[in-house]
Amino acid sequence: MNITEFLFNILIFPGFLFLLALALGLDWLDRKLIARFQGRVGPPWYQPWADLLKLFAKEDILPAGTNVVFTSLLPLLSFASVMTALFYIPIAFRRVPSFQGDFIVIMFLLSVPSLLYFLAGWATKGVYSIIGGNRSLLQYFSYEVLFLLAISGTIITSNSWSIEGIRQAQFEQGAFILPQIFGFLLALSGLIGKLKRGPLDIPKANSEVIAGPLTEFSGKKLALWILTNELQTVAGLSLLIYCYFGNLWQMNKLSGFLIFSVLLVLMQCLLSAISAMYARLRIDQLIRLNWYLLIPLSLLHNLYLIIK
Amino acid sequence: MINKSKTPKIISWARKKSPWILHFNTGGCNGCDIEILSLLTPYYDVERFGILKESTPRHADILVCTGPVTRQVKTRLLRIYNQMPAPKWVLAVGSCSCSGGVFSGSYNILGGIDQVLPVDMYITGCPCRPEAIIDGIIKLLEEVK
Repeated sequence: MNITEFLFNILIFPGFLFLLALALGLDWLDRKLIARFQGRVGPPWYQPWADLLKLFAKEDILPAGTNVVFTSLLPLLSFASVMTALFYIPIAFRRVPSFQGDFIVIMFLLSVPSLLYFLAGWATKGVYSIIGGNRSLLQYFSYEVLFLLAISGTIITSNSWSIEGIRQAQFEQGAFILPQIFGFLLALSGLIGKLKRGPLDIPKANSEVIAGPLTEFSGKKLALWILTNELQTVAGLSLLIYCYFGNLWQMNKLSGFLIFSVLLVLMQCLLSAISAMYARLRIDQLIRLNWYLLIPLSLLHNLYLIIK
Repeated sequence: MINKSKTPKIISWARKKSPWILHFNTGGCNGCDIEILSLLTPYYDVERFGILKESTPRHADILVCTGPVTRQVKTRLLRIYNQMPAPKWVLAVGSCSCSGGVFSGSYNILGGIDQVLPVDMYITGCPCRPEAIIDGIIKLLEEVK
């Protein structure tokens, strides 16, 4: 691989620019769909771009007494970890370096922003930030277990801890979406908690804790946090598509790209519809729902897959 | 506030297309607040102009004030204004925040918002109509360079 191709891959196609366009496009789709569901017109297509550009050009202030270096590192680290996770996730069914256990690496890298989100609340020392940070940690302990348990159904069936192994198993056994639709739905509900979308936007609930841990952030740092969350949406949805629809890709790059886009848009529609339909849960309701109902269900699902 | 000659075109475009507002009642009767909140309803839907209502001054671009400035609220108003990152603008909504309105001359009232902060746009009316507020914000954004 020569240097131009390398730079092109990093910066343009599967790399930064393409992911940015994809993430902001999905964000616009989400806002527009929720607006349409509520009977509104909704923002124009360039809205996420304008928001990000404006935030990057704004003044960056922090409350007195915060550690500036630490607070600046938090959004950068979370952005970097999501980008690294996206390097291992086959966006648009392209080939990625795969090794035994890369699934765990991706899950870890995707959960780093949640922990940094909590630290952001503590570092900025606002009252609402600390409450939001505590809530995000409580939420983390419920959805992360559910997401990993539900999606590990595909690992059990394919008998492999690598993304490539899961894909190979789906070529042999067919897509996992039909036999494991139950696990897919459980993983999707875990993903909603991971992305802090409605109805599980408890850590950043606007009417309760202002903006959660991001209350004291402004300018570039806020823009990076928003961008991280949007890239996390792309990463989470791509992971689900790859684990449950892995066999739809047939050697042809163009058809793989088209199938990927259609699936991505459909799943974003599903997430937006869920956000528009349901009211926000309380934190204790979420934990009760997850630990009493959804996690036992996903354990039973995995038990069934092992016995079968 | 900002150096007009140095702002690139794409940045000023972004600022025009994404004004996030912070709503603050400086001592009014709540009439204008109801009109501002109706901006977010499906009937007016200001998100089509990119206007979002933020809850924290650190995310906001435009401070939308309603009501006259009372003596008690003056320090808090200044504190909230100082917490907003530049570039920022102030919108005085309603007759009271433009001049003090029916409260002017009262012992506990300082007057309009311009007694405390530099106001960029005045919107009169008691209470002012939501259409007038949208018009005011759009006209304010036309001035943004």
